Amino acid sequence: MAETRSGPDRGGAAPAVLTSDRAADGWRGVDDDDALAELRTLLIGQERDQLASILERLDDPAARRREVADVLPHVLLEHAADPRFMHALTPPIERAITASVRRNPAPLADALFPVMGPAIRKAVAAALSGMVETLNRALEQSLSWRSIAWRLEALRTGKSFAEVMLLHTLVYRVEQVFLIDRTSGLLLQHVTQGPAEVSDADMVSGMLTAIRDFVKDSFRGTDNDSLEAVKVGELSLWIEQGPRAVLAAVMRGSAPRAFRTTLQTALERIHLEFADELARFRDDASVFEGARPTLESCLHTELQTPAAKGHRTLWIALGVGALAFAVWAGLALRERSRWNSYLEALRSEPGIVVVSSGRRNGRHAVSGLRDPLARDPASLLSASGLGPADVDATWEPFYAASPALALARARQVLQPPDGVALALNHGVLSASGAAPLSWLESASRLAALIPGVSAFDGSTAAEAAVRAAIARLEGLTPLFVKGQATLAPGQDDVLRELVVRAAEMQRTAAAVGRRFRVEVIGHTDADGVPESNLPLSRARAALVHAALQRVAGDRFEILELGVGSNDPVVQSDSETDKQRNRRVTVRVTQVP
Amino acid sequence: MIQKKICMLGGFGVGKTSLVSRFVHSIFSDTYLTTIGVKIDKKTVDLGRERVDLILWDIHGEDDFQKVRMSYLRGSSGYLLVADGTRRASLDVALELHEQARLTVGHVPAILAINKADLASTWDIDPVALQALDLPVVRTSAKTGSEVEETFASLARAMNVT
Repeated sequence: MAETRSGPDRGGAAPAVLTSDRAADGWRGVDDDDALAELRTLLIGQERDQLASILERLDDPAARRREVADVLPHVLLEHAADPRFMHALTPPIERAITASVRRNPAPLADALFPVMGPAIRKAVAAALSGMVETLNRALEQSLSWRSIAWRLEALRTGKSFAEVMLLHTLVYRVEQVFLIDRTSGLLLQHVTQGPAEVSDADMVSGMLTAIRDFVKDSFRGTDNDSLEAVKVGELSLWIEQGPRAVLAAVMRGSAPRAFRTTLQTALERIHLEFADELARFRDDASVFEGARPTLESCLHTELQTPAAKGHRTLWIALGVGALAFAVWAGLALRERSRWNSYLEALRSEPGIVVVSSGRRNGRHAVSGLRDPLARDPASLLSASGLGPADVDATWEPFYAASPALALARARQVLQPPDGVALALNHGVLSASGAAPLSWLESASRLAALIPGVSAFDGSTAAEAAVRAAIARLEGLTPLFVKGQATLAPGQDDVLRELVVRAAEMQRTAAAVGRRFRVEVIGHTDADGVPESNLPLSRARAALVHAALQRVAGDRFEILELGVGSNDPVVQSDSETDKQRNRRVTVRVTQVP
Repeated sequence: MIQKKICMLGGFGVGKTSLVSRFVHSIFSDTYLTTIGVKIDKKTVDLGRERVDLILWDIHGEDDFQKVRMSYLRGSSGYLLVADGTRRASLDVALELHEQARLTVGHVPAILAINKADLASTWDIDPVALQALDLPVVRTSAKTGSEVEETFASLARAMNVT
């Protein structure tokens, strides 16, 4: 033991060789299984146990199920976002659900029941709110000025109102989407919405590809540069190019830039979902039927959101309209009352007959008959508050028989002299005041010819004329020389005037058919004695009588008197007053 | 519905457009040809079992001023070469276009149509030379319409087989 223990002290290599030899002897020479087993146990016993345990776990299905059950939830939770899991799980889950429903719908229905109620309520609420929105919009559209303009436009262009409305409220609308094979330009799929004019999409697709090639070639673009957009008036075409397919969207209006992303996303999705089909595509596009939902998701429509002020504008418009109507109605009412009062004034005016009234060319119109002597109808306008420009009047002349007009006409025709007044009573025209005989004569002749006058009564005027003539005749007193029957100097004229007046008196008397007695009375002054004064006064009367006798016709009865100094003008001794008494006076009285 | 893109190639004035105008559905103006150099028409061919829509790219004839844009040929399933039987030179142009087309789209079915068959008496092309070509040759007439339908049908059939 001591030797063995001292071994290592002599060197590191020798014991190792020894050990090796011994070991070789042991493996080969020593047939001792127990020892070997013991050695094995010593050397790898622990690993063997573990191996056995692993083999047991692998061979035991129950154990493996337990283990998978342990890890599977963790895997699913940790890798929920991994698309591979989603792809892998979707088909079996879909099939499982389908199979479950086919076998017995009850369990799934039971499971869904709690969510279906709220979902249905939500859908109904959404549909209702959509309907209310539509109603609001329809109401607004049907009442606004804008919609009236649109209706006119629809009438003018022959488009439907809905179409015109859409075109005006449209921000943009994607009307067509083409999915085109990039190499051949063949159409893979085509979706549309709205009233898009769809030409033969196959050919459009080809032409679009040709134009893209043309643009690229003409402007030396690289393979990655390509036509992205074309704009033709309201329409624009957006093109998105992928490695194998091209997406072209035809839209009306102007889409936001974000729509480009929508197109890109759709194209990427199609490349992902139809990678094999696109790579293999030669001539049969029917496999791309499945891309329709993706393409249809690009058919966006965006309308202008109705501005909140819409209703306010409507109310303001209604308010202004009501105010305007009230003002208009007020003005119309005032105008109407003015017109009526004017018509009333016309109707009550003598010599004016209103035959018809109404409106003509936006003005009041009146027509009728008017006596030329009636008041000017225009002069009645201002009293009614109307202006000459407001009224269109047509008057036909006529002779009115009303007393006022007949009288006015008589005045106009007969031209009565100053101091003579005319009156009309029951058709009889009468004149008053001292009228010259000549006028009376012509008046009595003409009066019956005047419309509205049936007879002329000039008696009053004639009477006055007679009285005036008498007064003038009696006012003339020729004076004489003292103690003689000779006219005093300058009294010739008085006598001549007396003769003229007497002649006039004679004519007047003849006209009125009366007779008069003319007393010619001679006077003297108080000088001298009556025996000489009486003959002197008589001689003076005779002188005047002789002068009057020349003009006296059958209407005068002339008497000659001498009263001496018995009837003086004045009692006085002055020579002037005495001269006034040496005279001849005339007194006229009617003979019955 | 099966659809195939085919091109019509040929020199200037060989009658490509008039050859097909009576047989195709067209929505674009002929002026497209001279402006952007191509016009798309559609021709539906009934092959008995199925119908094929041929999307026909009528490519502007080659002349001194405008070279054929070979990019228009990409994705073609076949093409129709057209030459004018009364002009030898137009056959050379057609054969040259044939070479170029092969470089662009590879060996796809192609048919050479010698047009103006109604003027056969004034033909300038040696029938023996035509036999030596490695592509089917038909004699068509835009004026009478002879062989046009058949040419489209056989091209469609050839494309459907490949």
